[in-house]
Amino acid sequence: MITNYNPGGRDLLHRWEGNPILTLEDLPFPCNSVFNGTPVKLGEEYLLLLRVEGQRGYSFFALARSEDGFHFEVEKKPVLLPAEKGIFSVYESRGLEDPRGTFIEGTYYVLYTAVSEYGYRIALARTEDFRSFERIALVSEPGNKDGVLFPEKINGQYARLDRPIGLGVGSIWISYSNDLKSWGNSSVLLSPRRGYWDSFRVGASVPPIKTEYGWLEIYHGTKMTSAGPIYRAGAALLDLKDPSRVVKRCDVPILSPREDYERIGDVGNVVFPCGAIVEPDGEIKVYYGGADTCICVATANLADMTHCITTS
Amino acid sequence: MAKKRSRDLVHRWESNPIITIENLTFPCADISTAGAIKIDGEYILLLTIQSLEGFYAIYTARSMDGYHFEIGNEPVLTPSMNGPASLYDRMGVLDARIVRIGAEYYVSYDALGPHGYRLALAQTIDFKKFERLGFISEPDTKGGVLFPKKIKGKYVRLERPWEGGSIWLSYSQDLEYWGWSEVALTPRGGYWDCDRIGVATPPMEVDQGWLIIYYGVKHTSAGPLFRLGAAILDALNPASVISRTDEPILSPRENYERIGDQPNLVFSCGAVIESDSEVKLYYGASNSCIAVGITTVERLVAACANEVNA
Repeated sequence: MITNYNPGGRDLLHRWEGNPILTLEDLPFPCNSVFNGTPVKLGEEYLLLLRVEGQRGYSFFALARSEDGFHFEVEKKPVLLPAEKGIFSVYESRGLEDPRGTFIEGTYYVLYTAVSEYGYRIALARTEDFRSFERIALVSEPGNKDGVLFPEKINGQYARLDRPIGLGVGSIWISYSNDLKSWGNSSVLLSPRRGYWDSFRVGASVPPIKTEYGWLEIYHGTKMTSAGPIYRAGAALLDLKDPSRVVKRCDVPILSPREDYERIGDVGNVVFPCGAIVEPDGEIKVYYGGADTCICVATANLADMTHCITTS
Repeated sequence: MAKKRSRDLVHRWESNPIITIENLTFPCADISTAGAIKIDGEYILLLTIQSLEGFYAIYTARSMDGYHFEIGNEPVLTPSMNGPASLYDRMGVLDARIVRIGAEYYVSYDALGPHGYRLALAQTIDFKKFERLGFISEPDTKGGVLFPKKIKGKYVRLERPWEGGSIWLSYSQDLEYWGWSEVALTPRGGYWDCDRIGVATPPMEVDQGWLIIYYGVKHTSAGPLFRLGAAILDALNPASVISRTDEPILSPRENYERIGDQPNLVFSCGAVIESDSEVKLYYGASNSCIAVGITTVERLVAACANEVNA
């Protein structure tokens, strides 16, 4: 049960009134759509690394900048295109999708989905200026996506969440690494819940956020209907010292497709967060793709959110 | 009466199958695969046996001639009924493949649980006691096998992630954390191995590189046809394929390969190379018995270069 917080709203996350914040019309080059962006706040400037789907059908990344986190300007040139040579070109031949950025010890890392004839797999890059990226490694086998890194080492190791497809079961798993290149000690973390709004598949969405109640993971969950899947956002808290342990998982979604820009698009009925900014005053801005066609932002008070999760 | 010509590059032993459920002292559903190794003149197989309930466990079988085996009465690796591991292998442990690295024997096998297949690794000295080293992949991947030695300082494994139906390679510094994965062999449109492929035997070191036997699947309206082929991978860069058989080296033809729980299937998890380069290829037939086929390293290498007719 949601508590008396948010009495008037339809969702725990409040949509910004000016949504969507970016659409096709805001891009300085022709493309099919823009969605699933991951944000970072550098000083007072907001940067948003965007997934853009070109007219040809494959996706790549562009960069948008903002002074306030709501009004963004997209830079003229894409910042990361599929690799043209080397090992990455083999596994990125059909595009780059769904970037998720994490600061770890002063370095900005991006996990993204590399798509090729061999399937989906997770790739890792790092950047300093968000214009040039250094690819580090392909960090999963095929059949895996939605990778997010924890923002700090845990018990001396890097940790990540991801979504391998096992026997068609779409669960969130956790893995660990000493060097960011080789990964192991994997275990299942969150699975679809029969009968719930997230009964079909779940996947990590926002890189985990440290709170006093545990690591806050805002994830996406789907329910299959006769008209296709409905993508909603949910939340769970993971143990700070052992994030393979779920402290609490919210029973209800924190954001569901309701507005036209979430209902209508290339993939209707989708809200799909890829990142969030926590402001000094405790406000959380969650950036999400709407209907695989635009980018939106929704906000909440982080303390209210964790309170809602722990009491749900 | 001897046939004029064998139908496949690999010759079936005349008294196949060598192990059926009639040879067991306990009831079971079927016997599907055998990993193989020869140690000090003794042949050891690790059999995958499915219980009547439907779960898979691994048993040993021992022989002094490679054809007549004594089968252990108790499994050596079993599904976990409780504890964290049960989430990943409570439906079965299966398809063991044996590799010696230095002085250690490693057994890679598939763990089957509600989340799908993962690779698992165990270690043994005597093939009586096995130490489980843990799960070494996420789902959904199976058919894992280690190379018998490190390459460029790293352990290497072959495996078959479900996505794409190809054979992949991964590397590790410690057998625990794995990465640097890349595709090695893919299904070939139109061929007998057009739908999916997977590793069969552990890589065998030959002059030309690493010789592997793999299985290939072609789907028919009656279900899949599992056959065996071979390939040679580059010695130092095993993601590079030096040569690969155009034709299968063994196809289901005999009744024991045609009739069983999984009809039309030959599926190997291990081979023994004798000192005279004879290869004894142990294979499961129809997921219901174990058979042995015989060939030589030279014939397999020539077949990979497509220079031999059976």
